[in-house]
Amino acid sequence: MATHTEFHVHHDSPEKVGRRERLGVRLLIVADGSFLFAIIFSWFYLRNLNVNNAWLPKGVKTFSTASSWWVIVPFIIVFIAHRVSMRNRSLRVPAMALSTVLLIIGAWYQWHQVCNMPFVAQDANGRPFYNGAYASNWIIFAGTNMFHYIITAFITLGLFLRGLRGNLLDPVLEEWRQRVAGSWFTWVMIGGILSAFTTSFK
Amino acid sequence: MAHHDDQDLLPTPGQRVGTFLKRKDVSQTFVLGIFFTAVFVVLGLWVYPHWMPNVMSKEMQGNEDIMIWFTVISAPIAGVVLAIAMESFINMHRGDTPPPEDGPGIKTHGPVVVIWSAVSVLFTIVAIVWGITEMNTWSSDALAGSNNALVVDVTGSQWNWSFNYPAQGITSHELNLPINQPVEFRVISADVNHSFWPVQLGVKVDANRLSTTIARTTPDKLGVFDVKCAELCGLNHAYMETSGHVESVADFNSWVSQAKATGGTQQ
Amino acid sequence: MTTLSHKPASARPIPNPERSLITRLNMGSGTVVGILFAVITYYLLRHHFGSPWRVNHGMDMTNTHFVNVTILCTMFAWSFGFLVGIGALIGPFRWLIGKDLTAEEQLYLAGDGQGIKRYFKYCTDHKVVGIQYLVGVMAMLGVGGTMAMMIRTNLATPGSHFIAPIIYNSLVGLHGITMIIAMIIVSTGPFGNYIMPIMIGAADMAFPRLNALSWWVLFTAIPVLCSAWFLGGIPTGWTAYAPLSDQAGPGMNAFLATIIIFAVSTAVAGMNITTTVVAMRAKGMKWNRVPIFVVGATISVALAIPAFPTFMVAMIQTGLDRTISTGFYDANVGGSGWLYANLFWIMGHPEVYVILIPGVAALMEIAPVFVRKPLFSYGAAIAGFAGIAGLSVLVWAHHMYMSGWMPSLNGPFMITTEFISVPTGLLFLVLVGTLWRGKPWMKMPMLSVYAFIWDFLIGGITGIYLSDVPADNYLHGSMFVTAHFHYTLMGAALTGAIGALAFWFPKMTGRMLNDRASYISFWLIQIGFNVLFLGMFMAGAAGQPRRVADYAQAFAHANLISTIGAYSVGLGMIVLLWAIIHSWRSGIIAPMNPWGSKTLEWTVPYPVPLVNFDEPPVVTSDPYNYGRSAK
Repeated sequence: MATHTEFHVHHDSPEKVGRRERLGVRLLIVADGSFLFAIIFSWFYLRNLNVNNAWLPKGVKTFSTASSWWVIVPFIIVFIAHRVSMRNRSLRVPAMALSTVLLIIGAWYQWHQVCNMPFVAQDANGRPFYNGAYASNWIIFAGTNMFHYIITAFITLGLFLRGLRGNLLDPVLEEWRQRVAGSWFTWVMIGGILSAFTTSFK
Repeated sequence: MAHHDDQDLLPTPGQRVGTFLKRKDVSQTFVLGIFFTAVFVVLGLWVYPHWMPNVMSKEMQGNEDIMIWFTVISAPIAGVVLAIAMESFINMHRGDTPPPEDGPGIKTHGPVVVIWSAVSVLFTIVAIVWGITEMNTWSSDALAGSNNALVVDVTGSQWNWSFNYPAQGITSHELNLPINQPVEFRVISADVNHSFWPVQLGVKVDANRLSTTIARTTPDKLGVFDVKCAELCGLNHAYMETSGHVESVADFNSWVSQAKATGGTQQ
Repeated sequence: MTTLSHKPASARPIPNPERSLITRLNMGSGTVVGILFAVITYYLLRHHFGSPWRVNHGMDMTNTHFVNVTILCTMFAWSFGFLVGIGALIGPFRWLIGKDLTAEEQLYLAGDGQGIKRYFKYCTDHKVVGIQYLVGVMAMLGVGGTMAMMIRTNLATPGSHFIAPIIYNSLVGLHGITMIIAMIIVSTGPFGNYIMPIMIGAADMAFPRLNALSWWVLFTAIPVLCSAWFLGGIPTGWTAYAPLSDQAGPGMNAFLATIIIFAVSTAVAGMNITTTVVAMRAKGMKWNRVPIFVVGATISVALAIPAFPTFMVAMIQTGLDRTISTGFYDANVGGSGWLYANLFWIMGHPEVYVILIPGVAALMEIAPVFVRKPLFSYGAAIAGFAGIAGLSVLVWAHHMYMSGWMPSLNGPFMITTEFISVPTGLLFLVLVGTLWRGKPWMKMPMLSVYAFIWDFLIGGITGIYLSDVPADNYLHGSMFVTAHFHYTLMGAALTGAIGALAFWFPKMTGRMLNDRASYISFWLIQIGFNVLFLGMFMAGAAGQPRRVADYAQAFAHANLISTIGAYSVGLGMIVLLWAIIHSWRSGIIAPMNPWGSKTLEWTVPYPVPLVNFDEPPVVTSDPYNYGRSAK
């Protein structure tokens, strides 16, 4: 059985495995980026088309620009926390713990916004609908942020718990995983800024 | 074949080309190439005029010409490809064991790649120029005719067409047009997407909800044409069709006054 | 670098990691948990989420949006539950809590020595995944093909009413989407997973667990798609244009869920294959020594990575419109069907090349082996693929010339579209250059090369008219378009995949594909195919719109010709299926390298050992160094 423990990915050097994982994550970021591109395209396309003058019908309230930006602040802090912890090993566990907490708060704030959407109108029968294309587009950005919160919190929580355990199999590979996670943190920060930028155009 | 390879290595380019052309496989390929080119030329010239319906406008003639002449100009390329394929097919090796001997080890041939690419770029440019010229002709015709164009508001709804002539003040489920009169279709949908297709007039445009789209043509032959829906629009999409007529101006005017007499709405 | 010494599977002890959950999970447990999740979700939503979702605007659909929420959530719950039940989430969870899978557990997941059972498990061995994809694709092609036969039967004569229009519309849509999904994975699924890692000298894919995930995620989409039939079908065709899709009945949800699930599978598979090729090639396999099939498959899946998320967005937007009454595609509240069309075709045009490129690349792999000549101009082949992939993201609006969304852009999109003929021309050059002065060994894979050249030539030339804006005024939305894209997708890409199957069958099954039966099927399919779509070109040129359940008397001859051709294709496919099943069970045992090919996959025995190679191979030349006196 001794040879079996060398099985599979383990027979490549951790360096090689790490680089491979980084490439894989970056390719997934391309896919996620394409998703974000599509929703930004939708936003500006419908905004410029303004069919039936119903991008923002008269009297429909919007979210404030500030709230669009507040909701993505945790992504920026997570990015910074991760950069700091890459320089200083001893800060890793607290940085990831802080990140996880912030991401949960961010997700809660996003959910809070969804629960208090000002633009859901009632039709003649008292049933709610999304009044205007702005409203429709806003909800998909909220969903995308939420998706990023959940995935990112999963990663930070994992890095936190793994950091607590301390004695993981392969420290070099673990180092690489930290770096690979950095690619994702960078991306969700950029993605969050793009979302906030887009949703600022009402 | 080994003998031929040796001949390929002859010193001067002129001699090489001369020997190349004398080779049996080359001359066979050449004959096959001419044959396949001719087949495609004939197909292009014969098939589309026979398959396509009556031409009732300049636009429709333009469409048919493109299909015919694009086939004809791509015929030599198709001829070369098919000739080489056919020549090698004829020389096939059959049986359950691999061929005893490898073919010539030609890895690439710079001039051939360059010439081939140049020809396809040239072909593409011809196609683009043709298309853009045709588009410009259409839009300048439309511009010229825009002052005296007959406006028809076309509404697609599940699953029928209705035509409103705002200047004449009539609405109909049948599309009547006077001959040689530029016409502007302003197309809209009452529900889902449709596509307004007066087949023999050679134009088409989608019908969208709350956004008007425009198609312009000038019918130049008397007769009946079909109006169809070219965008899947639900249950009875296949039956969302009606007929149209290109009439003399006198006939058209009498149809208009008749329609007005019956209250501006015609079945 | 250490590798396992190869022992026969039976001689090796079956690893049995004690107390590990993974040994108890398989397709059965996945199905049970999936159904459990679905049932729980269904009842929870039914009872607790009733009134807030009972919304209505515009159309008369008092309760449909509520129903849509329940149906969509139930479908996703099934998919998620299945993945939980088969153990797909064990790996990520163990990572989360810092107890990574042990080497024994990973070896167990690779399924070595577990016999036929491993095909029904979350098995990470790329060869198992390849076979799973192969069987899955064949099943999908079978279902899609049966629908095609029903469509052609209905269209055999005008006014046949063999099938009611409402069912006919569903047939057209479900035939379309089933075939599109099947064709996207038809080459990269089976051959990209089974053969490609061996071709580049790798021990497995870069991410073996994600490889299994891509298959099983796709698997969960199959019952979802089938459920469309029980929910009233889809009236929209495979393009699912809005707002018709907003208006459609509950069957539409099945379509949305399928595409969303499929997009996840594609992203994961695409990233995995790309990473494998970039990072795991054997020593010495420089970029100019990579077999052309590997290059083609990689470009194809790399193109799919950015393409499919836009389709996913379009589907999510449709889903939101249909459930919580947003208005992405509802013009009354500022939406537009043009938005859908754009998002759809930004995916949709790269997608046709995602389908085409691996098929062509497989034939380019085949041609040099049977002609015994080097691949003509490897560089031109790469330039062709790269050029097509690059241009394909700039041409999407040629599907929308007639939509009126922005007529001023028709000219620019015509230019980009026409320029695709240049890289496409290079693909022809590579193939005919390889054939030039050759004496091809005429076996089934080689026949496919010839069929491809003819079919793709017709598909290409008719594509030139369609890319031309004025001619598209006439042809758009007609049967001519349908015939054109069947020539490219079926005549070119499926022919390539069938050729690839005949070529790699000995490596994947250990047996030779029956010659006689495959020749019979080849001629039945190819002759039938050309008759079928010749008829459809006639009908289209004469002015028959596509996706019609019925047509005027004027198109009767053309349609009858089509239907006759279709039956021939159907018969040919049945013969091919018989050939595959019969040869797989009791064909002639294949030698290690029956075709005398020089790529790496032919240097390993059948059954292929778990880590493929006893010693990591070292590549010293390109795989096409055939030929005497190479100049």
